[in-house]
Amino acid sequence: MPTRRLPPALARLIHIVTWIENGLLIALLALMVSLAGAQILLRNLFDVSILDVDQLLRLLVLWVALLGAVAASREGKHIRVDVISRWFPARVRAGTQALTDIFTIGVCLVLAWQAVRFIRAEAGVTAFGTLPGWIAELILPVAFALIALRYSLLLAHHVRQSLGREEIP
Amino acid sequence: MILTGLALLLLVLLGTPLFAVIAASALLAFSRADVDLTVVVIEVYRLAEMPVLLAIPLFTFAGYLLAESRAPQRLVRITNALLGWLPGGLAAVVLVVCALFTAFTGASGITIVALGALLYPALMQAGYPERFSLGLITTSGSIGLLFAPSLPLILYGVVAQQLNIGQPVSIGDLFIAGILPGILIILLLAVWGLWQRRGHDIPLARFSAREALAAVRVAAWELPLPVIVLGGIYSGFFAVSEAAAVTALYVLIVEVIIHREIRLADLPKVMRESMVLVGAILIVLGMSLASTNYLLDAEIPVKLFAYIREHVHDAVGFLLLLSLFLLLLGMMLDIFSALVIMVPLILPIAVGYGIHPIHLGIIFLATMEIGYLLPPIGMNLFIASYRLNRPVLEVFRSVLPFIAILIVAALVITYWPWLSLGLLGYR
Repeated sequence: MPTRRLPPALARLIHIVTWIENGLLIALLALMVSLAGAQILLRNLFDVSILDVDQLLRLLVLWVALLGAVAASREGKHIRVDVISRWFPARVRAGTQALTDIFTIGVCLVLAWQAVRFIRAEAGVTAFGTLPGWIAELILPVAFALIALRYSLLLAHHVRQSLGREEIP
Repeated sequence: MILTGLALLLLVLLGTPLFAVIAASALLAFSRADVDLTVVVIEVYRLAEMPVLLAIPLFTFAGYLLAESRAPQRLVRITNALLGWLPGGLAAVVLVVCALFTAFTGASGITIVALGALLYPALMQAGYPERFSLGLITTSGSIGLLFAPSLPLILYGVVAQQLNIGQPVSIGDLFIAGILPGILIILLLAVWGLWQRRGHDIPLARFSAREALAAVRVAAWELPLPVIVLGGIYSGFFAVSEAAAVTALYVLIVEVIIHREIRLADLPKVMRESMVLVGAILIVLGMSLASTNYLLDAEIPVKLFAYIREHVHDAVGFLLLLSLFLLLLGMMLDIFSALVIMVPLILPIAVGYGIHPIHLGIIFLATMEIGYLLPPIGMNLFIASYRLNRPVLEVFRSVLPFIAILIVAALVITYWPWLSLGLLGYR
């Protein structure tokens, strides 16, 4: 997503956020693959199974899925049905995209807010082992907020495109 | 309520991400029922409470690794060495290779991208008509959905397990149920390939034991893979998610360390790209867990069943209606969203008509698969058009006979439950 039209400080911030998102996603997938492999070795060779590892793996699925969804937002790769707008003139299409962006941002902000309420309500609960619940659940508000952020950036592009101030790729 | 429904539908058609629309409908429904809205987020958090889901990121990662390496070329070589000498052999090669590859990568278009440009010229060179070759490649992008460990099969099992319909729906059973229907589809298409040879003087290739051996040797590291996955799951040695973990690790070691076809520096890119697909699928699943929760609370499947029961009296009529509906659905919606949105509605009704949940899953996928070839969504049409540089309309014309064959196959699968359930010993 081009950030060159943004103020340099903001562009830089987004650059850093993107880097962290990617880094975390890749690190967590690597952790998932290694832990899942280790667990099988332990179970079949030594007949040991570490309960917490199973739960951690399940939690990793959620984290990886939501971080993947954030990355999908960045690249416009979410699953959608694109039957009508394909036939619109380019500027009209940018306009309807701006509309759907606003809707998506709104929904994600509501979800982020509900996630914050969920975490507050669960204060003091442990997820498993000694892992506090709020750490396990933290990805929910963060991911929804990040998706909203990504769609805000898209919205800026789509608005400018529909006004004819930016070329449509 | 009807007005909000229409507004949401319009948003879908304008290209709003599906997860946002499903989330909005769940939020609206729960707020109307005076339920605390955190319930939606709590349902999304349930993604962390389903052990089978672990299989989805791991298999997807393995599939992307395979697609990025030269495994597709090796797969083509070995299949060609073993089957290429038969009459209609190359068409069969394309079908088998693509089916195997799709099973591992999920029908997300990767098959056409990775194999299309390789197999299309080969078909023409062997003397197959251009239109047939184009149609075959385009169609092959989605056959194989019924073979383990395809993502849609796993996803159907995951969704069905949420519904408490009284009969267990194990993913291992789904993997077994898909075998014969999957083979039927390939056989019918292979016969069509053989039929193409009439009137043309296509020389038969000769079987060469030396080439077969060489091909086996080159692919020696990948050959155990189907044995590990399928053997492991079918024998009960591995749970599905364990088989996925073994596959991911094995493929990682073979392609990165042994073959060295994926550089370590490229690994992060492959990891990220594969997880974009996983994220896009699982966030829709997460949201639809919430909307399904509402549907079940409001007993909507029960009401729907009562309504349909008044008009459709037996399973035969229901199945016909279902086939038509799924075909239309497949034209509009990709298979992943269709599964998580529609299975919660359709499965309880189908069970009401005495259809086995496993059989329904196979019907669902075999019919939805045709949607990949139908406009306006028809993902395979656009990917093949892009990859092979042919106009979409020409691609569409080329797949018409294939669509007809797939419809015949889907009907056979629908009305002959034994094909899906026989190997499981039900009925």
